[in-house]
This record gives sequence, C-alpha cells and structure tokens, in this order.
Amino acid sequence: MVRLLTSRREMPPGLRRAYLLVLTPAALLAPLPLLWTQGASRSAVLLYELTLLLLWWRARGGRTVRASDAMLNLAGLLYLGWLAFETVTLRLGLLRSVAHLLLFTALAKLASLKRPSEARLALLVIFLLTLAAASSSTHVSSILYFAAMAWIGFRTLSQLGVLADFEEAPPDRVLESVPTPGLTGVALLAGAAFTAPLFIALPRLHGPFAVAPFRIEDAFSRTLSADRVDLESFGAAKRSDRVILRLSSKPELSFTAREGLRLREAVFTEYQDGVWVREPWSGRRRGERAAYAAEAVAGEPLQSVVSFDLNVFGQGFLFLPYGTAAVRVDRGRTLELPDGVIQASSGRGPVHYQAEVRRRPERGPGKDAISLADVPEEIQKFAIQLTGDLSTPRAISRRIAELFLRDFVYTLDPPKATGDPLVHFLLRSKAGHCEHFASAAAMILASRGVPARLVTGSYGGESGLFSRSMVVRAQNLHAWVEADLDGAGFEVFDPTPPAGVPPAFRPFSMLSRLSALAREIEFFYDRRILGFDSTDQVAAVEAARESLGAATSALLSLKGHASRLLSPGFAAALLSVAFTALIVLRALGGARKGPGPATRAYLALRRLLARRSGPVAASVAPAEVARLFGLAVPEAGKDARAVASIYCASAFGGIEPDPEARRELKQSLRRLRRLT
Amino acid sequence: MTRLIPDWEIRITNFGLGYILMSLVVAIAATNTGNNGLYLVLAAMLAGMIVSGILSRRNVRGVDCEIESVGEVIATRPAWLKVKLENRLRASSAQALFFLHEALPGPLWIDPLQPGEKRELVVEGTFPRRGVYRDADAGLLSRFPLGLFRKYRRARLPRELVVYPLPETSSVPAVPAEESRGGRPHPRQRGGGSDIRTLREFSPGDDPRDLHWKQSARMGRWIVREREAERDRSLFLAVENGVAWPPDAAALERFERSIARCAGQALLLLSRGSEVGLHARGVKVGARGGRNQRIRILDALARLQPVSLDSAPPFPVMRRGDLRWFVS
Repeated sequence: MVRLLTSRREMPPGLRRAYLLVLTPAALLAPLPLLWTQGASRSAVLLYELTLLLLWWRARGGRTVRASDAMLNLAGLLYLGWLAFETVTLRLGLLRSVAHLLLFTALAKLASLKRPSEARLALLVIFLLTLAAASSSTHVSSILYFAAMAWIGFRTLSQLGVLADFEEAPPDRVLESVPTPGLTGVALLAGAAFTAPLFIALPRLHGPFAVAPFRIEDAFSRTLSADRVDLESFGAAKRSDRVILRLSSKPELSFTAREGLRLREAVFTEYQDGVWVREPWSGRRRGERAAYAAEAVAGEPLQSVVSFDLNVFGQGFLFLPYGTAAVRVDRGRTLELPDGVIQASSGRGPVHYQAEVRRRPERGPGKDAISLADVPEEIQKFAIQLTGDLSTPRAISRRIAELFLRDFVYTLDPPKATGDPLVHFLLRSKAGHCEHFASAAAMILASRGVPARLVTGSYGGESGLFSRSMVVRAQNLHAWVEADLDGAGFEVFDPTPPAGVPPAFRPFSMLSRLSALAREIEFFYDRRILGFDSTDQVAAVEAARESLGAATSALLSLKGHASRLLSPGFAAALLSVAFTALIVLRALGGARKGPGPATRAYLALRRLLARRSGPVAASVAPAEVARLFGLAVPEAGKDARAVASIYCASAFGGIEPDPEARRELKQSLRRLRRLT
Repeated sequence: MTRLIPDWEIRITNFGLGYILMSLVVAIAATNTGNNGLYLVLAAMLAGMIVSGILSRRNVRGVDCEIESVGEVIATRPAWLKVKLENRLRASSAQALFFLHEALPGPLWIDPLQPGEKRELVVEGTFPRRGVYRDADAGLLSRFPLGLFRKYRRARLPRELVVYPLPETSSVPAVPAEESRGGRPHPRQRGGGSDIRTLREFSPGDDPRDLHWKQSARMGRWIVREREAERDRSLFLAVENGVAWPPDAAALERFERSIARCAGQALLLLSRGSEVGLHARGVKVGARGGRNQRIRILDALARLQPVSLDSAPPFPVMRRGDLRWFVS
C-alpha cells in the first residue's frame, strides 16, 4: 500500500535510492558525446562518470547515497572557486564552462536527492546535458547516441512516473516490471515514425548550423573552399574519410580499375610564397539554375547526365567531369571562373547539380597557364638540368614522370619544409603527396615554356550499396597537371607515382559491403539530417505531393477497371463464391468445434450417474461426479476417477489424451456402461 | 484533507508542464541556431507527447475494473472489497496502474496485467460513513508512459454497495422491560417473558442470567432457559429523521448517533430472540426476528436520510398494542 506524496517532507532513504537507480543510466549516458566533441574536458567527463558510478554502486548495495549537507556545501564552494579560476585563468570558453557547470550540478543534485521535486530538477539538468551533447554532435555515430538515449529516456521517464506515486521505497518488482521491453520497442518505433515527419515539417528559418562531413576548422574544408591552398593542408585533407560527394549518372558512366572517374575542381596558375592562389571574384556571376556551357564541347554527342550531391562548405567549387558541356545548379548562386571552374555559394548547405557530359578526350577548357615569373629560380635551374637536352613537351613530361617514379617517395606526411615547400620537395626532401608532384611537374613544364597549370579535384570512387551511385571521399582527392603537350589544348598529365594515385575503383567484398552500408548511413545522416534545410523541406513536400498524385491516379485507374469488371453477372458470381466459401468455412469450423474425446467421455459419465442416481447439477465438479459414481457403483469407482482425471487434464490443463489414453477412455466407458 | 479520488479523467502533471516548457525552449533554440541536432531532439519530444497520449489512453481504457463487497460493510470498520480487473487488450500488457478507492489509505500498485488477463484482488478498506454507494468512488490511475499526464478511469460498481451504520454496543436493552410487556403471550414464540419454554444449549448472545446451572453441571455443557414471549405486541425502534431545515452540524451528528444507537439496540434485541421492527418518517420495517431481520434493519438504517420537519412524512401507523420506542 502506498500513499500519494502530497507533503514536502523528505523522502525515505529507500525511495531516494530508487530515484537514484532510475536516473543514473540516463545521467551516465547523457554527456558521453562531449568526450569526442570537445564540448567538455575529458577529465571532467570522466570524473563525473566515475563519481556517478560510485553513487550507483552504493545505491545498488543499499547504502546511504545522500551526501551530508556540510559536504555538499563544501563541494559547492570549492566548485565556485574552481569556476572562477577556470573562467579567469584557463579560459576554456563559455560553452565548455557551462558544460562543466551542468556536469557538477547533475552530480550534486543526484547526490543530494531529498524530495521528488529535486529528482525532477536532476532530470532537467540531465536533459540539458543531453541537449549540449546532441547539439554539438555532428558525427554519424550520434544516431546511436540518439537511439540509446531514446531507449533509456523512455525507461527513465516511465519509472519516474511510477515512483511519483510512491511514498515509500517500492518493491524491486515494481521498477523491474515497468516498462516492458516489448512496449518500449513499440513506443520507440512509433516515436521514430512520428519523429521523421515532424523533423521534416518543423520550420527552418536559418540554414543548418553544422554541415557534415567536414567542419569549418578542418584542413579538408579549407582545402576545398579557400582561395589560397597550401601544400601541407592538402595532405591533411587526404587523410580524412569524409564523403565529399555522391553522383549518379544516366546513362551510367563506366569505370574500370585502370581508368577511373576524374573530377576537376579547381585550376591554379598563380604561385606566391609557397601557396597556390586563385581569384574567385574575377569570373561572371550567374543567377539561380546557372547553365554553364563549354563552347568547345557543345557539339559532341551526349554521353551522360551526371547528378551530384556535393557537401560543400562556404564558397566551394563544383567537381565536374572532363567533357562537361553544361552545368545546372539546383539552388544557390554560382560564379563561373576562367578555365571551366565554377564556384558555388550555397551558404552552408550541400549543393545539388547536374552536369551534361559529352564524349571527348580529357582536355581542360581555358587558356590560362603558369607564368614563368611565378616559378622560383631554383626550380627553373632544376628544370634546365633535368630536361635541358629535350625539346618536345611530351618528352619533357615523360622525363619528369620517370624522375618522380625513380627518385621520389610518395607520402602524406612530407618532411617539414624550410623555405619554399616546392623547392624543398624537389631539391631536398624528395618526398611528398600528389599536390607536391603535380605542382613540381607544372613548374618544371612552365620553366621549359610548356603551357601548364595545376588542377585539383578527385580521382576514383566507390560504388554505393543500395544504388548505382558513386561516392567520392576525401581519400580520393587528387592533383594533377594540365599541360599543352601537343599544341591541341590542355591535356591531363598525372605525374604522381602510381602508389599515390587513389584507386580508380574499389572492388566489393563482404567487408566493403559493410563499410558501404556504414557509408550510406553516414551519407544519409550528413545529407538528410545534419544538412537538412528549407529547400529540402520544399523538395520533401513536393515529393509527397507527387506521390499523392500518383496514388490518386492509380486509384482512379483502378476504379475505372473495377467499374468495367463489376458487371451485374460478375458481381452475382462473386457474391455466390463468397457465400459458398462462408458456408464451407462455417461447416469446417463447426466440425472442428465438437467436444474432444475426454469431454465426451466425461459427459457420458455424468449421464450414467444421472441415470443411476438422479439429476446431477451443473455445478457438481468432476471429482465430485467421480466420487458420487463410486458411491453409487463401488466397483466402477476406479474407472469413473480415471475418466474424470483425463477430462480435468484436458479441460483445465490443456493436455489432450494421447492414443493410449483414448483407448483407456473407451474401455473405461464400456465397463462403466456395463456396470451401470 | 486532500481528497484521494480525482474528479477528472485526465490532468497534466507538473512534469508534463515542464516538458512542454522545455519543448518550447528547444524549439526556440533550434529555430534560432538552425542546429538539426536540436531539431531532431524537438521532433522526438513532440513525437513523445503523441506516443505518450496514445499509449496512455490504451493503457487505461483497455482495463476493466469492477468492485464488489465481500460480506457486510460497516462504517468505520475494515471491510473486504473484491476488485476485478481485466485487461481487454489482446496484444499489449497494461502497466504502471494504481488502484484508488476512498476506502483505501492510498493508491494500490497493480502488477502489470498481461494481454487478456483477468485478476481479482481483495483489498481491505474502511468506509467513513454509512450510506448507499451507487457509483464506485474508485478507479485506476496511471501516469504511464512518460508521466506527462495522469489518467484516471472510474471503476464500475455492478450493484449498489450498502454501508451499514456502526452499531453502538450496549449489553443492556434500552427498552425497559415493563414498557415491552402487555398483550397476550404468544404460545410458541420465544422471548423475554418469565415462563420457561424449553432448555437448550447456550449460544452467543444469550443472557448469562438465563443459564441453568444445575442442568449445565449435569450435562457438562452450558444450558440456558428459553423463555416464552410475554406479549404478542411488536416492538418498533424509532428514529426521528425529521430535522429543522437546513440542518446544522450538531443536528446531523445527533441524527447519526441515534442511528448508531438504534442499530446497536436492534442487534441486541434480535440476538436475544426478540422481534424488532424499525420506524422512521416514511420508513417502516416490520417486526420480525432472526438474521434476515438484522440485515433488513441495518439496510434501512444505512439508507435513512434526514428530512425537513416541515415536509416530513408522518411515522408509520401502528397496530393497537404495538410499542414504538424512540431511540435518541
């Protein structure tokens, strides 16, 4: 028996322990993402977790869990001092200080539970910690966190709802029985089913706060969006496993292990103080749905239309295949730069665009090339030493490639450069990544008067698991040279040794299928959850409207078919079949519903008793029937008891008589009839 | 004193208000920052409200609750109540339910009911007042699943529940012996007369003064004299249920006390084998003896209500020679 808690008096220790045991799982899980999002210092989170585990362990053991008032006051004062020190001296930042404050408050509240209202306050703090963790998590693993938090949150709230009506500690079975796992699963599935449309429908007044796969501070995003690209950051970007884009083509573009998809992103012709520079604002501004057209390839036959979903941050550049004749961007403003490069300004959202690809050799549009004035003197001298004896551009390029293959090492961790990084790479370290190789080759070609330029983009990709689309990751980032080697235009010259060229195509294996599945989930999370914005909302509504329209059309056409089919004769035949089926089913059901052999035998026993001793009331129990029969016909008592026993096992225990028992029933009944 | 039984069917809890408030805070934060993580939390919170409403409705409405009394129910004395619960849901269990009844000291935890499960509980409760209960002042309460709302479903009472007044115990009849004498003795009726009708074994309620010591010693067990009734006129205990209207608290207390005293006297006289009836304004219970008469009188007393003296009906007409004794 329990009583409603109406007073504000303190909870008994048992109830306090119950509240703590209910709240602890949620409190333990809530701040975990802060460990890897740097939302709080790791030592603070670990200290919090350890202290909480200690409290939980004491509560499980039935020991006192409430700290004394003096200890709590002392802890509060000490924390105030620490907070002042942290704010003034350590300067960890407002968000981290707030996160630390929340951690301390949650711990203090859980250690000082006195009344049910304080348990609700502790729950509020845990919720704020969850908000802090959820708002700072951009990794796809956040999905797991959300799922786990939903499960534990549902369990916690259900049990708190039960505890609210207890004044004393409830028996263990109370909290163990609520909620049942099945109902929790159903509730969470239903919750997910409602969450998805609500998430889509909630109004978006701003663009997404954070867009995966990369954050603004990442070297990766700097590489793809900055106007100045240094050689170091490009190597760091290639280390990332993030998804850059996903593309699908119609008709499908074919790729082989030998020749993969090469996407062109940016062209660099200016090199200043060890940094490649591009001037984004020198091009023509385009409005929405820009249509870039490369005149040189417009007349070629159409090969494919490629659709891209590009995760770009800020002023990004579109990745375009060679042979692109026209580009259509779904939204955002675009800027057409010289040499066939297009910059997209999409805020912080992903860019969706289509490229029309025509059949032609891989040649880059435009005429800009590296000026000899931009080539460092040391490289010019090196170029003369290396290729002074050669006169044709193609021979020069072959010599360069041979040199790199023979004397240079490909690495994503090149030695730290002193002075100009290209000079350092070429003359001293002889170790670098694709951008080093491509930059050096372009410089050498330029030194020898061959028009050349550095091009960055991607090479190769991976096929999607559930679609025929292709995913390009940061590992596929690549740099190469476009050089006019035969006087017919800028053709692709890739001087990077084969070890440094990203794989053109990744073969599938079970592991790769699993990783592809994970990648699909990651892409979905990045693109459809983190990067979801008002444009996606409009697209979702549009898709829903189209689906509804299609469904309506299908229904209308079905109605037309039905009206043709439902002639009076057909309807009568249908009704006849249904009626016959109903009768057959009822007959079969009726046949099946007859009493079993045990019941039939027992009813026969009752009839025999009635014949012998007069009417037997319906309320007389089987055992009593057998006893009365034994009294009336003493020599038949054993058989009567056997019949009653088999009947009881069948009617109340669900144990139907086996063939032997049926035989025994028959024999017993035969003897009973004879004796009666 | 806070009434335990709610007069509502659904009410938002303080936690539910806090939940809604926090949803608003998250909505503002999400809208202002554009953080889709917060949008996800907000959508989940709103979905939580919907799911909570659906599950809670199914959880409470899916359970049938009936209440019956087990035996007699006497005001202010512990009584047994049978609570019949049935989970009509075929697929899900009903959980986190509390049974509330005014006669219980607090909510009673009900272990989860499996799909289709029927369960009977016998609980001990106390009814503070006599009277007739036609609506069950009881039901099922639940905050399941998220504690946002409290939902209450009133239990059904298949038949009215009569709570008898607590008899005021007395070992001596308040009716003086000389008042009850008169008329013609009934030859076969036992009673409180002076003539011995027969000897029989002692049974609880017999007057110790009637013990036949010699016969008891001879037979080795208690034997009492059964006396013949001294009169053929009936004794009616009467309660004045007409009061000045509107009645004040003191008058009502006096009225209740007279009912309790009347019940005590009736039980005492009946236990001694007397025939007793009951009179009140507009109420008449014929004079009889035995266990059934006990129930008739207690039932009438449980149902007795004060009426205005101005419009009160008269007391029932008596036969000549019958005695009406007012209990005050």
